[in-house]
Amino acid sequence: MNNKVIMWSMLFLILLGLYILGEGIIFVEGIRVKFAAILLVSITIYYYIDRARSGEEIYLRTIPGLKALEEAVGRATEMGKSVLFVPGISDLDQVETITGLNILGHVAEHTAKYEASLNVPVSKSIVMEAGRDICKESYLKSGRPDLYSDDMVHYISDEQFAYAAGVNGIMEREKPAACFYLGKFYAESLILAETGNSIGAIQIAGTGSMAQIPFFVTACDYTLIGEEFFTASAYLSKKPELLGSIKGQDIVKLMVMATMILTVVLNGLFQAGWISFDILSYL
Amino acid sequence: MFFKRQIPLLIVIGVGLLTLFGRFINNEAVRGFVSNDATQWFDIIASFAIFLGALNMLKLQLIKIIKKQKNWQYSILAVGGFAFAIFAGFFYRGANYITISDIQEGELTSVSGIIAEELNESNPFNIETKLLDSKDAYEIDKIFMTEGNAKIFMEKLTPYVDTITLNSKPWGAHVQTKGSLFYWMFINTITPLGATMFALLAFFVASASYRAFRIRNFEATLLLVAGIILMLGRVPIGNLIPWWVVSIMVMFGIGAIAAPFIKKRKVLLGIVGGGIIIFIIAGTLMGWNQTPPAFLSIPIIQDWIFAFPAMAGSRALMIGIALGIVATSFRIIIGLDKSVLGG
Repeated sequence: MNNKVIMWSMLFLILLGLYILGEGIIFVEGIRVKFAAILLVSITIYYYIDRARSGEEIYLRTIPGLKALEEAVGRATEMGKSVLFVPGISDLDQVETITGLNILGHVAEHTAKYEASLNVPVSKSIVMEAGRDICKESYLKSGRPDLYSDDMVHYISDEQFAYAAGVNGIMEREKPAACFYLGKFYAESLILAETGNSIGAIQIAGTGSMAQIPFFVTACDYTLIGEEFFTASAYLSKKPELLGSIKGQDIVKLMVMATMILTVVLNGLFQAGWISFDILSYL
Repeated sequence: MFFKRQIPLLIVIGVGLLTLFGRFINNEAVRGFVSNDATQWFDIIASFAIFLGALNMLKLQLIKIIKKQKNWQYSILAVGGFAFAIFAGFFYRGANYITISDIQEGELTSVSGIIAEELNESNPFNIETKLLDSKDAYEIDKIFMTEGNAKIFMEKLTPYVDTITLNSKPWGAHVQTKGSLFYWMFINTITPLGATMFALLAFFVASASYRAFRIRNFEATLLLVAGIILMLGRVPIGNLIPWWVVSIMVMFGIGAIAAPFIKKRKVLLGIVGGGIIIFIIAGTLMGWNQTPPAFLSIPIIQDWIFAFPAMAGSRALMIGIALGIVATSFRIIIGLDKSVLGG
């Protein structure tokens, strides 16, 4: 076991010990397990970020949807058509929207590089402002600030179906060659994706909204399913510290799986009357 | 740059850590901030920000009209709609109501009759009872969009009532008052338009299902079989399908799944045909006509698919999404992922 593992484990134990000592005085009673879980998850992710920073190679499997981003922008450029980016209908308080905006930055870099026109209709004003900042930065990074215009990120409506109708109108009129749906979506997901499909656009979607994933899988060429969507920012930036957090996330998943199996076994033994320890009451 | 990058980053880190660990701190002020104040701050900022969006929308539509860009005529409708909503929301309440008191002696029946006629109430006695029950002034349960209409109605009541007052609902409340101009606009334009868009989903679901259910590979076949069972199991006719029909369907399903792996068609036909014959003979001998087994009941198969394979898949996906959100949030909170601040 290396020194860093020992150091982080000590830190975990010390913080947990402090929490237990301060329960009822400084800290809330009865949520010790939650605190330990948050601490463990945070320390695990940070440990792997630290390892990646130290130069450890992190392997990330190929995600076809993210690999196809540049290809889609290139296709739009060849066809002389625009690129449409839809960041969902939620505000910036949703992690999906933030992830969608992160990917917008990468898409904007490609549109700047290929001189393709980018259209980002939004349904929330704060998202519009954040989207503009991100696009501006990307165009600057690509050395083409002259191609950037504030109006490429524009507001349509806060109303769900008014927004869907507005985006559909843009699709039907401009016939973009590439459509990206990356953010938080609700019932409008299929309306947008099917319209995009009908105009023959290459479509890449990604969302954390469970109910909308099947619709995107059906109607889009590539779909970032579940956690794939959240790894996009790290995958595209290739920054070691971000890649490290993905490995940390996978280790946490492994821990969750182990905890689930352990819980099932212990609860089975308890229900059979072989042990008196009830894991469910403790959790 | 300091105010555009470092300060927002400090706010993100500070509020993020406070929100994450605030729930564990035994202090009402901290927990109150995390649960209520912080979200209210967000709502307030978002409310102000909506002006930015509205102005941006207006600017783009006006440019389209002025430059007569393609389809500029639709922009007139957008600008007109915007102006009308602003007018109905901020400048014209259109939510007038009438209160009456001091009804003249013996005129209660006449007054209740006039009010009932105005409200399309078939039984004036109900109004009469309400008038008797009202201790002070009685508020007539109707909103008049214009003062003119209200005054016409007031004139009808004047011979029988001594005190008639015309009032307006307060600013702000008028947008949610049934019968006001803003409410009328919402109910008669926004709601049907939204419903129309929502209704389109039915057609999109049909076209998407057609594509998804086309038998192309093993997964698509599984989806088709599961989809048919789920659809049949959720409708009353699913209960009426006899066991031998289900057994034939099961064998066809097995055949469809096995088809990509069996190259000789005659072998496949033999498996499916033989399976059907075995099922029917076994079922007849075992008396399944009286008590069909659970595994040949469409609603039970449907329940099983929904409760086990589908649930397991969706929960696995949910855990992945939750962990993705946790890792992304963590990266933002510790200031590692600054892309949301513009790179």
